[in-house]
Amino acid sequence: MASSSPQALDFLKRWRPRARKPLTRAMIAGGISGIMIVGQAWLLAMILHRVLVEKQALDTVLGLIVLLALTVLARILASYIAERSGFAAALAILPKLRSALLEKVDRVGPVGLSTRPTGEVVSALAEGVRGVEPFFSRYLPATAQAAMLPLGILAVVAPLDWISGLAFLITAPLIPFFMVLIGKGAEALNQRQWLKLQRMSGHFLDAMQGLATIKAFNAGPRMQQAVAEAADSYRLETMRVLRIAFLSALTLEFFATVSIAIIAVLIGFRLLWGEMSYQHGLFILLLAPEFYLPLRAMGTAYHARMEALGAAERLAALETMPELARPDEMPASMTGPLLRHAPALTIEDVHLAYPGERTGLTGITLAVAAGECVAIAGPSGAGKSSLFSLLMGFVMPDSGAIRIDGQALETIPLAALRRSIAYIPQQPTLFTGTVASNIALGDGNPDADRVRRAAEQARIDQRIAGLPKGFSTVIGASGHALSGGEAQRIGLARAFYRNAPLVLLDEPTAHLDPETEALIHGSIRALKPGRTLLIIAHRGETRALADRTIWLDAGRVGLAPADASA
Amino acid sequence: MMTFWRLLSLMRPHAGWMVLAVFVSAVATAAHVALMATSGWFITSMALAGLAGLSMNYFTPAAMIRGFSILRTAGRYAERLVGHEATLRFVARLRAWLFGRIERAAPASLEGISAGDLLTRLRVDIDRMELAFLRIVAPILAGMLVILPVLIWLAISQPLVAFVLGALLACAGMGVPIVLLAIHRRDAAIAAEATADLNSASVEAIEGQAELAIYDPEGLHRKSLIGHSDRLLAAEDRLARGQAFGNAAIPLFAHLGVVILLVIGIPAVQAGGLPPAELPMLLLMTVALFDAVAGWPLAVQSVPVVLASARRVFGIADREQAVPEPAQPEPVFAPLTLHFSNMCFRYPGAAGEGLRDLDLVLKPGQRIAILGASGSGKSTLAALALRFLAPQHGALVLNGHDYRQLSGEHLRKHIALLAQNDHIFSGTIRGNLLFADPDASDVALEQACRTAQILPLIESLPEGFDTWVGAHGRALSGGEARRLLLARTLLRRPAILILDEPTEGLDAETESAVMVAVLADHPEASLLLLTHRLAGLAEMDEIFRLEAGQLVAISKHSLAIPEGPRHSRAD
Repeated sequence: MASSSPQALDFLKRWRPRARKPLTRAMIAGGISGIMIVGQAWLLAMILHRVLVEKQALDTVLGLIVLLALTVLARILASYIAERSGFAAALAILPKLRSALLEKVDRVGPVGLSTRPTGEVVSALAEGVRGVEPFFSRYLPATAQAAMLPLGILAVVAPLDWISGLAFLITAPLIPFFMVLIGKGAEALNQRQWLKLQRMSGHFLDAMQGLATIKAFNAGPRMQQAVAEAADSYRLETMRVLRIAFLSALTLEFFATVSIAIIAVLIGFRLLWGEMSYQHGLFILLLAPEFYLPLRAMGTAYHARMEALGAAERLAALETMPELARPDEMPASMTGPLLRHAPALTIEDVHLAYPGERTGLTGITLAVAAGECVAIAGPSGAGKSSLFSLLMGFVMPDSGAIRIDGQALETIPLAALRRSIAYIPQQPTLFTGTVASNIALGDGNPDADRVRRAAEQARIDQRIAGLPKGFSTVIGASGHALSGGEAQRIGLARAFYRNAPLVLLDEPTAHLDPETEALIHGSIRALKPGRTLLIIAHRGETRALADRTIWLDAGRVGLAPADASA
Repeated sequence: MMTFWRLLSLMRPHAGWMVLAVFVSAVATAAHVALMATSGWFITSMALAGLAGLSMNYFTPAAMIRGFSILRTAGRYAERLVGHEATLRFVARLRAWLFGRIERAAPASLEGISAGDLLTRLRVDIDRMELAFLRIVAPILAGMLVILPVLIWLAISQPLVAFVLGALLACAGMGVPIVLLAIHRRDAAIAAEATADLNSASVEAIEGQAELAIYDPEGLHRKSLIGHSDRLLAAEDRLARGQAFGNAAIPLFAHLGVVILLVIGIPAVQAGGLPPAELPMLLLMTVALFDAVAGWPLAVQSVPVVLASARRVFGIADREQAVPEPAQPEPVFAPLTLHFSNMCFRYPGAAGEGLRDLDLVLKPGQRIAILGASGSGKSTLAALALRFLAPQHGALVLNGHDYRQLSGEHLRKHIALLAQNDHIFSGTIRGNLLFADPDASDVALEQACRTAQILPLIESLPEGFDTWVGAHGRALSGGEARRLLLARTLLRRPAILILDEPTEGLDAETESAVMVAVLADHPEASLLLLTHRLAGLAEMDEIFRLEAGQLVAISKHSLAIPEGPRHSRAD
C-alpha cells in the first residue's frame, strides 16, 4: 500500500491545481495565525515584564491584556479558517475526481474491467477517492505551515538572541532529516505488514465462508488456534513496525524538548548575569514550543500523505487500464430506438484480440436471419461472450465487418444500438430499488401496467405477489433476497419490458433446478415472436428452444461435437 | 453503558499492560507540565535575582529542567509502545474469542448473515474495539492522573485559580466535544448511511455495468450514485466543521485561561499572596496542562463508533447455539443406528411445509437413498443428522440416546457429510484433505482420492497434492471440486456417511464409477444418499422420495434405473 510510487504522486499533483484557491486561502490563514502566535508571545512577555520587573499594577496593563485576548481570538479564528480551507480544497477535488473515474470506467467497459476483481475497482471508486482527501486537506496545508512558521519565528528570535536562534537553526533541519530517514525504514516494514494483514483477512474470509464445513469436520478448535496464531503474529509484526515508526516521533520529541530545555537554561543564566532583558528572555521561551509545533505536525501530515498515496496508487492503476469499450461518439443525439423490427445480423471474418493471453475471435463468419432464434454453443473460451460484447459495443473488432440489417455496426450510433438490445447475463444484477424499478431498469417513470405484463411474461408475477410489498418490495444487496432463478426471471422481465427487437441471452438456466428451468424455458419461448434471439447455451434442453445451433471453437465457427443431441 | 462495561470487562486479562500504559502516559504528560512550569519559574527567578544582584541556587532547577525533558521524551516513546502492546494483545485475543463464538453458533444460528458481514465484524469491528482502550480509556485516565493532583495542589493555595482552570479544562476536553457530538449525531448517521449506499451503488455500477450500459442510457443509476456521493461529502463537510471547531476549542480555552489567570494573578502578586516567579510558572503550566486533555475530544467522538462496533460483535457472539450442548454428554460408540423418530422440522418463518412426521431408521451398514427435487428438504435432513439443527417435534435418536444428550463433536466423529455447499479452503489439495483428518497418512489420502476418481487428475498436476486450490489457487471445475470434496469426506472413514448430491456436475460415466467405488471402499458404512439423480440406486437397500415434507417408500422396479451409464433424472 503505502509506497511512494511516482505514478501515485503524479496523480495527486495533477489534481492539485483544481484546489488552488482554497489552498491559497489555507496558506494565508496559516500565515496570519503564525503572526498572531508571535504577537501573543510578545504581548504576554511584555505584560509579565511590566508587572514583575517594573512592578506596574493591573489597571496599567489592562489594555495590553485585552489586546492579548483579542490576539488569542484572532489566532484561533485564523487556524480555524486554515483548517476549513484545507477541507474545502478536498471538496473542490473529490466530486470531479469521482466523475472522472466513473467516465474512465465507462471507457474501459465491462470486458476490460472483467480482468480485475470487482472489489478492487469498487474500493478504488469508493474508498480510493475518499482516501486521497487527507493529501489535500491536511498534508498540503501542513507542509506550507511547516515551511513558513519556523522561519518566521527564527527571523524574529535571531536578532534578539543569536544563541537561541542558533539552537533553532541547528535543531530544525535535523528533525525532518531524521524523520525522512526513519520514515523510509518504516515504509518498507509497513508494506510487509500490509501484505500480512491482507493475507490474514483473506484467511478469515475463507474461514467464514467455510464455517459449516469447519463445524462438520470438528475443525473449530483447530481453526480457532490458527486464528489466534495469525492474530498474534500480526501483533508481533505490527509492533516491529511501530517500534521503528515511533522512533521518528521520538527524534522529534527529543530535539524539541531538549532544545527547549537548553534554551530555558541558557536564557536563565544570561538573565542572572544581566545580559538580557526579562521580556526578551520570556518571549523566546514562549515561542520555543511553537517553533517545533508545525514540524511535529508534519509527522502526522506525513502519515496522511502515505495513506493518500496508497489510495492514489489504486486510482492511478485504474487510470492506466486499457479502454476497450467503443467510445460514445454522439451522446443522446438519438433518443428513439433504431431498430423497429427483428433485425438480421451478418458477421464477416471478424478478428478480435484482447490484451494479455485471453483468446478472442479468430475470423468468425456467421449470419442470423431476421426473427431467428439461434443458440450459440462451444467450450469456454470459444468466443461466445466475445460475440455478445462486440454486438453491445463493449469491445471493438480488430478487423472484419458486423452488419445489422445491412448497416455497418460502427455507423450505428452507440446509444441507438444499445437501446435496440435487451441483454440478460448469466446472473442478472439486482439493483437496490423496488421490483418495479428493477424490471423497468433505466426508466424514470415506470409504466405499472407494462411492468405487470412483463412480470407475467417472465413467469415471475406469482413470486412477486408473494413478496411483502409486491412490486414495491425493495430488492438488491440490502433488500429482500431473491434466488438465482428468480433473479434470472427478473432479467427476462427486463427484456419483455424493454421490448427490444434484438435479445442476447447468456446461459439462462445454468445451476437451476428442473422446475425453474421449465419456467424460464417457457418464458424464453414467449420472447421469441417478433424478435431476433441469440442464446448462449450449454444445455441441450436450452438449445432445443432455438431454431438452430451455431457451434464455436477457438474463436470461429466450428463443427458440432458428435454427442450433441440438439 | 452495559456494552461499555462488558467491553471493559473483556480487557481484564490485559489489565497489567493497560495500567502500565496509563501510568507511563501520565508520567510523560506530567513531565511536560513540570518542564514548562519549572522553566517559567526558573527564568523569572533568575531574572529577578539578576536584577536584585542576588545569587541563587540554579543547579537544582537546571537539573530538573534537563531531567523533565528527558523523562518527557522517553515517556512519550514508552507510552506509545506500551499502549499499542496492550491494545494489540487485547485485540488478538478478542479476535480468537469472536471466532470461537462464531464457530459455536454456526451454521444454523448464523443463517442470513453473509460471510462478508461476518468478516467485517471479525476484522473492522474488532479493530474499532481496540480504540476503546487506546483512544478512550487511556487518554482520559492518564489525563485525569495528571490534572487532578495539580488541581488539588493548586486548590490548597489558590482555590480560585484551581476552580477556573478546572472549569476551562472540563469545557475544552469534555464539554465542547460532547456538545459537538450531540449536534453532529445526525450528520454522522447520514455519513454512515451514505457511505453504505455509495458502496452498494458502486458495486452495482461495476457488476451491472453491462446491463446499465444497455438499459440505462440516461444514466439514472449514475445520477443516484453521484447523489449518494454528494450527500456523503456534504455530511462529511459538516462533520469536518465540527471537528475544526473542536480542534480550536483546546488552544482557545488554554490561552483564554492565561488571560484570566493574569487578571487574577497580577493583583495577587502585588498583594504579596503569590510569589512573583510563580505567576509565569502558573501561566506556562496552564498551557501545558491542556496537553493532558488534548486527546479527549477524539475520545468523546470515538465512544459511539466503538460502542456500535462492540454491539455488532456482541450481537454475533451472543447468538444461541441452535442445539445446546449437554452438560454431561452420553458417549457415542460405533456401530450406530440412527433413528429419525416422528420428527418435524420447519425453518422459522419459512414458507412451505418443512419436514413432517418423518420416521426413518438407518441401521449399521444399511444404504438408504432419499430422492427429491432441490428445496424438498434433503439438505435440511443432513443438517439435522449432523446436529446443526434440532427438530421442533420428535427426535433424532442414536443408539437409543436422544441427540440432545449427545455432544455434537462426538457425534460428528462418526457421521460425515458431503454437503452441497462444502467449501474448498484456500490452500493446497493436501491441506484441504487433511482438514477432515489432520493425522491422515499419504496412503489414506491416495485411497480416498482414488475412490472419488480424482487421483489421476491430482497426479497429473505438476505439483500433485501440493497444488494450490481455492480462492487464491488453481480453479477447479465444478466436477473436479465435487470429487475433491468427496475425497475429503471419505477420508474420515465414518460409521455413517451422508452424501448430498455427491455426483453433481459429473458426467454419467464418472458418476457411476464414483458410486461403485464409494460403495466398494466403504462396505461397512451406513449410507444416506440424498440425490435427484439415479446413479447408484441399484445398490441401495431402501429408496424413499421426499414429497411435501414426508417420506414415501418406492420400489426399485418402479424407477427406470439405468443399466449402463446414462445421464438421466429422477423426475
